Amino acid sequence: MSVDSPSPAPAPPKKPLYEASTQFKHWRYSQESLADVRSKLNEAAVAVIRQTFEAYEPGSSSNVSFLNANEEHLLVTFYVTRITQLCGHFRFPEEVEATAATYLKRFYLKNTVMDWHPKNVMLTALFLATKTTNNPISLEAYTHNIPNTSPSDVLDLEFLIAQSLGFEFAVWHAHRALWGICLTSALQQLPSIPPDYAKSQSSVYDTALNHVRASRLTDAEFLYTPSQIALAAFSLTAPEIAQQWLESKQTLSESSPTKIGSGVLGSIETIKSIIINAGQRPETEAVREVDRRLRLCKNPEKVVGSKAYLARKAEEEKKAEERRSRKVASTGEGVDPFGDELDQPKPSLVDYDDDDDDD
Amino acid sequence: MDAVERENADRQKRWAKEQKVGEGTYAVVYRGREVATNRKIAIKKIKVGQFKDGLDMSAIREVKYLRELKHQNVIELLDVFSSKTNLNLVLEFLDSDLEMIIKDRSLVFLPADIKSWMAMTFRGLEFCHRNHILHRDLKPNNLLTAADGQLKLADFGLARDFADPGHKMTCQVITRWYRPPELLLNARYYGSAVDIWSVGCIFAELMLRIPYLAGDSDINQLDTIFRALGTPTEQEWPGHTKLPNWHQPSTTYPKTPLRDLFTAASADALNLLGKCLVYEPRKRISALEALKHPYFFAIPFPSHPSKLPKCAAQVAVRAAEDAEQANIDQNSTGPGVRAAEPGSRKRKLNSPEEFRARSIARRLDFAKQANSP
Amino acid sequence: MSSYGGWLRGKTVKKGAASSSSVNTRSSTPHVQSTSTTIYGGGIKDPSGRVTEYFSMEDQCPVCKSDRYLNPKLRLLVSTCYHKMHVLSILLILMRVLTGVFRCESCIDRLFTLGPAPCPICSKVLRKLAFSPQTFEDLEVEKEVAIRRRLAKEFNKRLEDFDDLRDYNDYLQEVEDIAFNLINNIDVPQTEAKIQAYKAANAALTAANIQREEAYALALKEQEDFDRREREARAAQLVQEQEQERLEREREQNELISKLETSGKDAKKLVAKARLSQQKRQSARASEKSVLSGGMGFGADYAKLLKARTNKAKTSVPDEPHVPLQDDWYGYEDLYVLRPSYDDIFSEAVRKDREGIMRAGGYMVEEAWNRALRSAMAGLELEPLVGLQTEEPPLSAVDAGGDVIMA
Repeated sequence: MSVDSPSPAPAPPKKPLYEASTQFKHWRYSQESLADVRSKLNEAAVAVIRQTFEAYEPGSSSNVSFLNANEEHLLVTFYVTRITQLCGHFRFPEEVEATAATYLKRFYLKNTVMDWHPKNVMLTALFLATKTTNNPISLEAYTHNIPNTSPSDVLDLEFLIAQSLGFEFAVWHAHRALWGICLTSALQQLPSIPPDYAKSQSSVYDTALNHVRASRLTDAEFLYTPSQIALAAFSLTAPEIAQQWLESKQTLSESSPTKIGSGVLGSIETIKSIIINAGQRPETEAVREVDRRLRLCKNPEKVVGSKAYLARKAEEEKKAEERRSRKVASTGEGVDPFGDELDQPKPSLVDYDDDDDDD
Repeated sequence: MDAVERENADRQKRWAKEQKVGEGTYAVVYRGREVATNRKIAIKKIKVGQFKDGLDMSAIREVKYLRELKHQNVIELLDVFSSKTNLNLVLEFLDSDLEMIIKDRSLVFLPADIKSWMAMTFRGLEFCHRNHILHRDLKPNNLLTAADGQLKLADFGLARDFADPGHKMTCQVITRWYRPPELLLNARYYGSAVDIWSVGCIFAELMLRIPYLAGDSDINQLDTIFRALGTPTEQEWPGHTKLPNWHQPSTTYPKTPLRDLFTAASADALNLLGKCLVYEPRKRISALEALKHPYFFAIPFPSHPSKLPKCAAQVAVRAAEDAEQANIDQNSTGPGVRAAEPGSRKRKLNSPEEFRARSIARRLDFAKQANSP
Repeated sequence: MSSYGGWLRGKTVKKGAASSSSVNTRSSTPHVQSTSTTIYGGGIKDPSGRVTEYFSMEDQCPVCKSDRYLNPKLRLLVSTCYHKMHVLSILLILMRVLTGVFRCESCIDRLFTLGPAPCPICSKVLRKLAFSPQTFEDLEVEKEVAIRRRLAKEFNKRLEDFDDLRDYNDYLQEVEDIAFNLINNIDVPQTEAKIQAYKAANAALTAANIQREEAYALALKEQEDFDRREREARAAQLVQEQEQERLEREREQNELISKLETSGKDAKKLVAKARLSQQKRQSARASEKSVLSGGMGFGADYAKLLKARTNKAKTSVPDEPHVPLQDDWYGYEDLYVLRPSYDDIFSEAVRKDREGIMRAGGYMVEEAWNRALRSAMAGLELEPLVGLQTEEPPLSAVDAGGDVIMA
């Protein structure tokens, strides 16, 4: 290099694409923080519900045995398995199933089962997942095929779930990463690949996919990335090949912006043990027990028809009424942040300004 | 639930809504400011719960994809907050769009300008494709321009992920004039090439200043394309005769060279345009290849974004005209997020129709002006 | 020189037309103008008249060895056997006649006036009419072009006339063979016989094709005429409009003057009012024009705007050379290789694709593979989080991307 030329400014560090995703930014926890979130959520919920009980029937809450965080978790996990059943029934693609499971789990990181029973949430989450993954089904066709379900059951919760998800609908899944691994591993010039690997490739994939499905019953996706989960599943099926695949990628990554370090092996092992230990369907008896108790400790405000529920509704209606009258009164008054009323309101389907709560 | 609501309420406080600047089928658009920095923003309020199938698919798509994409040539979603039945998207505020700029007769385009816009479009599109997203609604209307000249892809209401093998997709996407022939022939399996065709049409429109392939009906659109680019042969586009909507054409049009119509374009430009408008989708140039095409490296360099022509028309006038445009697709979503400074400029009363439109638009103009029409 | 330019513009020979330009002295660039009154038939005719005759300083008649230095008006023609000979200019012929001196006549005239005679070089029998002006530098090319032109008249089938590509290519090969033979004088009689045989067998199809081509040429011509007429109409309209404007302006001026003379009002005010109304009218008309003219009606201000724009472009921020990708996103591309094909269970449907519908629609399974490969690499390097996160960041916190950090 000649002495005269100035050294070029260093290129800005490249940001990996995955780190732009909402999955990475907002739905990533450590073991500890995950447990913490759940227990805090549970405690807060119990406190509120206890209060509500007391407000309508003083003294009633001492008899109620509220659920704890683990029990909540158990129930949620059970309903994740129900998603799989429903998807089989409707023949939804893998993408829908995986997305719905993720939505359900994420929902309960923001809400408690005592407010919202996972059965309904599960149905709605699945319906939402069909929409966000571009496999839409009409609401009618959906509820028609599910016993004891009306369209409003599903629809009522939809916005709530979307809200709780933060409207972050895009999910990166492990099954696609698994597909990617299988695509390459067959062609790798790996020494220990058995000569007839290509034939057995589909059975390897199937077995590994089952592990991925098992991982959906665990917390793996909140702790690790989809590619790591996929590799763990693959490793459970064909350990040596997985090892070699990883090593080859590590070598490749030495000169790239993201270095695949030795820590990955540890992560893989952890995920494997998670899948093996926690990737099972919960015991039916235990679930039934929790469900029974849930019926007793549900938040009365959310139970349609109960005193608390109606009281809450009335309160909300009052607030909306106030807002509406305030709006009418404010015409011609100084600066209205929403602009002047039209002289003739457009005959639209809904009055957009009806429930503006930005006062 | 309350925790989530509270969170949303807090988030909502960051953004101050000001006046309404547009309305569409499922959303209302307001102009606003970020409270902390006074930055100009736009708030798209989507009403939820008025469709029988729940949350509207277009809304879902917009939110889903805008949340994940961050690029200087893609419109930026700053925040999302919701109230009980409203979904509010806080987007960056963009002055105008390419359609307004093209239609504005007082603006002159240099070849360098066109090159600059095309480069930005391709960059935005390449980023979408890199994230495995098809935009499926590219048209000048949906290419918004910022105050500093940067062009941004907007309106992801029809976007979707690349399909897994064997999955069918709908062919009723993209506004008719920018729709590629494979979609007009009702192909259910397609790829990122559909967006490239749209970009090719936009490129042509930038050079001609009028839409290039403007058919007046779906059937007529195919005919228009064939007339302009010649009827494709089996050799040129293997298998196209097997697509669902193909009929034996009554007339076979010969290929006329692009040079005949684009008399002022450089050879490089025509070469790139030709590659965007190739019949066989697999042979169409990809966004990444397009960015490496000699056209962009040749003299003149693409104009610096700050020097690009800017349009001064009011959006209120545009909103009234929108309804009359013939090419509004059934699938098109609400108005893009663009607005102008209401009332800050007095525009000379130029032509009778604009005067009429202005009096309608006046209703939406909230800057208190006491003058009479 | 205008005459030089005139030559370059390639004026076609008109029978009986005398040379329009002056005679140049020897020192200036010689020009060949077809001054001969005889039209030499044959050869390559260019109907548009834009192709000029070929000439060079080295031209020399091989028969009598006169060259351009001695004879600036040397005109070499080519015979059907592709040998060159020259013809004297009419001036010299006249001179010859007047002076009565038999100078060196043109070799062609000399040799062929009395009827057909053998070519002095190759002894093939020729007529005077068989000579034609030369278009290409290389006589070989000249010959080949003439042959091909002739063949094109006979052999004009297209791809659509054949059942499959193979047949079409075979046909083309045959034509090439024939052409090759004729050009290089191989088996000429057999080749001619072949041509005759083909002609007989395909007369109908050939005729149909000729008709079609004619029809197409006609349609094209009509289209051109139509375009031309439109353009003219538009130009005429423009002129008319300008005329109108001028008249209006004049009238206004006159009005203004008469008003100033007659009325007692303040002169300044009158002028101002007049100017205002004038402006209004002008802008109304300008926008009307642009609205009416649809496509590219920019009006007379276009040039001004263009100039302003170009100036602005030059003075402000300089343009930078193009960089294909300007973002910092890393898509793990260097960690995997996308191969052109994979033996993969999911893409069975794509592989089968019996009718080619997926391919015709443009579905690229490579895109799906790319996505899978990418997601297999994405995030592989990330270490899991450890420990309790510090309490949720306050809502006003914004991460690097301007996104609000949620729970």
